[in-house]
Amino acid sequence: MSRLKQIGNWFEQRLQIAGVIRETATHPVPRQSASWWYVFGSAALTIFILQVFTGIMLALIYVPSAGEAWNSLQYLNHDVTLGWFLRGVHGWGSNFMVAVVLIHMAQVFLFGAYKFPRELTWILGVFLLLMTLGMAFTGQVLRFDQDAYWGLGIGVAIMGRVPILGASLVHLLLGGPIIAGDTLSRFFALHVFVIPGLLIGFVSLHLLMVLKLGINEWPMPGRIVRRSTYVQEYHEMAHRDGVPFVPDAVWKDMFFSAAIIVSVMACAAYFGPFGPSGYPDPTIVQTIPKPDFFFLWIYAMLALLPPQMETAILLIAPVVVLGFLILLPFLSGEGEKSWKRRPIAVVTVLLIAVALGTFTKLATYSPWSPVMDGWSGDPVPVEYLNGRSPLERQGALVFQVKQCRNCHSIGDSGGKRGPALDTIATTLTRDQLVRQVIQGGGNMPAYGKNLNPAEVTALVSFLETLHLPGRPPARDAAQATVTKQENSPPASNR
Amino acid sequence: MKHRFALLALMLAALLALAGCSLRGKPGPGPEVPRPDSVLDPVVLYRENCSACHGAEGKHGPAMTLGDPVYLAIVDDDVLRTTISKGRTGTAMSAFAQKEGGMLTAQQIDAIIHGIRQRWSQPNVLSGVVAPPYAAKAPGNPQPGQAVYNTFCASCHGNGNQGGSKAGSVTNGAYLSLISDQGLRTLVIAGRPDFNAPDWRSNVPGHPMSDQEISDVVAWLAAQRRQPSPVPYTANPSSTANSSPGGVH
Repeated sequence: MSRLKQIGNWFEQRLQIAGVIRETATHPVPRQSASWWYVFGSAALTIFILQVFTGIMLALIYVPSAGEAWNSLQYLNHDVTLGWFLRGVHGWGSNFMVAVVLIHMAQVFLFGAYKFPRELTWILGVFLLLMTLGMAFTGQVLRFDQDAYWGLGIGVAIMGRVPILGASLVHLLLGGPIIAGDTLSRFFALHVFVIPGLLIGFVSLHLLMVLKLGINEWPMPGRIVRRSTYVQEYHEMAHRDGVPFVPDAVWKDMFFSAAIIVSVMACAAYFGPFGPSGYPDPTIVQTIPKPDFFFLWIYAMLALLPPQMETAILLIAPVVVLGFLILLPFLSGEGEKSWKRRPIAVVTVLLIAVALGTFTKLATYSPWSPVMDGWSGDPVPVEYLNGRSPLERQGALVFQVKQCRNCHSIGDSGGKRGPALDTIATTLTRDQLVRQVIQGGGNMPAYGKNLNPAEVTALVSFLETLHLPGRPPARDAAQATVTKQENSPPASNR
Repeated sequence: MKHRFALLALMLAALLALAGCSLRGKPGPGPEVPRPDSVLDPVVLYRENCSACHGAEGKHGPAMTLGDPVYLAIVDDDVLRTTISKGRTGTAMSAFAQKEGGMLTAQQIDAIIHGIRQRWSQPNVLSGVVAPPYAAKAPGNPQPGQAVYNTFCASCHGNGNQGGSKAGSVTNGAYLSLISDQGLRTLVIAGRPDFNAPDWRSNVPGHPMSDQEISDVVAWLAAQRRQPSPVPYTANPSSTANSSPGGVH
């Protein structure tokens, strides 16, 4: 007997684990479930392991203190060999993990895998999603840059609105009433100990149940799940037409996981790490904080939320959504699994995907935010100044200095909060322009008190030059008649 | 099995492609977003703070042509520093120094001035020419100023609010309300070469304007300054604004 085998036997005598491993590896899975559609769960686990390893390496250098965190990330980015790459892998790993977990969840939902007897697997999965998002959020806070600082401010402002418990929750999370010295320590503990610990526990249970209950069979239209017969039918299927997990199914999992890791590394190498953006100093006001990619949809939704819906969306909707996800396997624990016979499920997934995608897309250019340096940094297009009178050019100056540009774009630069003004004179007459400037209206504040008459005159003169080429500016037809009457002798009126 | 090899090959190809790329994601030197008050690159500072009004390259903006070497030859650094720091009361130029409520430090303002000089000054642009002083030494007299206007300005700017054939009106009350006497003086001396307005030497060929003439015409223009009526509605819009040949070209 070789030395190696002797050592193996010594361990086996004490651990008695070989049988379990062999059983796990060779347990039969339905032939059709050994599919490319069933690789996302294992991929999520792989990324989680990658995150643990890269996270430990980052923790060797990262300093979780408000004063030093930003500097230690600069040190990682610039002074540690491949430190930037490590940060990139951890940051992109986070994005990939959220994406893969969401895809996994959508696939499980569409394939009816949450139905009997896998209800608890689904519920644990819902908590795993929350923890994954929790890791993404706390990780963003640990980056402790301007985005983190203001993002956290918004997060706790929402939390502070929870009835009765709000103030205590904020205090618990921040270590005080405001973001201060203790805050980062708390988030470090959450990100490094609390949530990963829970994740490991939940993932273990989740996996255990997948092994014990068997992987979901490929859903066939017309094959109905019934509590009384399902378990027996499943085992018959797995044994009659099953394949051993290793090697018939596992190679796809391994291949996909490897591809995901290569993709994470490629993104890290090509796009680099995330931030850190500006130094987290609240006295620096020249900043446009934005959350990380997977929270952009929330950012857009919060920005576009009508005030009267705030309580409903911020406090009630999350509870309803979470409640629905947890209750889902009890609401439809039996019946059809195939997405071909579940049109509402398909439409729901599509609707959610389109809504999240739309909000995310909007958030990437946040048209609701004024461009705060538009007035000083976006030049007036030369063609809007050539051939103009001194008064009109002075109007362009008023347009910039009074910060109209922060909300209104001309020549494709400037804010998008208000309409672009490149052809405003084609739609508004001089009187309408004057009225709009002085009184505001729509979403625009009144500028009457901020502009003296000369400034209004100059500004409107400039705006009047902004019309489509070859088309005269809009004019008030009645005004022309009045002018004509005023200029004519009274007798000719009759 | 065939599939497995194909996929393996695909993955290897992806790896090779990755190895072939340079590591583009490596962060450049310095923090990605520096503290705003630590930025001392004059090009960046000019772009973020000045370009909107003074033009991307110091010209073709609605405000003074900072990229005009003639202008830069008559104005000194102290004037530029004071103007940037404190702004010009009654004009569109606002204060940029932190002490005055702006966002720029003294070093940043110096960096902007240095950058403007380095990019657009031409050392010998006025060699052999005695330029009128930037600031008037004595107040001008509006009465002879009108004649000066008719001689040097009216051929382009015309008389009255309608403006002339080549340029719009500079006697418009609203326009004059938005520009200071010094602004007028600087414009008369340096012109707006980016919009084909000549400097003090070339309004009438071979007859540069004297310091006194400049002061007088500025005094006369200042006397035309009046705020338009508080509600700028008029039956005849062209009485306040010179109609533009305009349109977006």
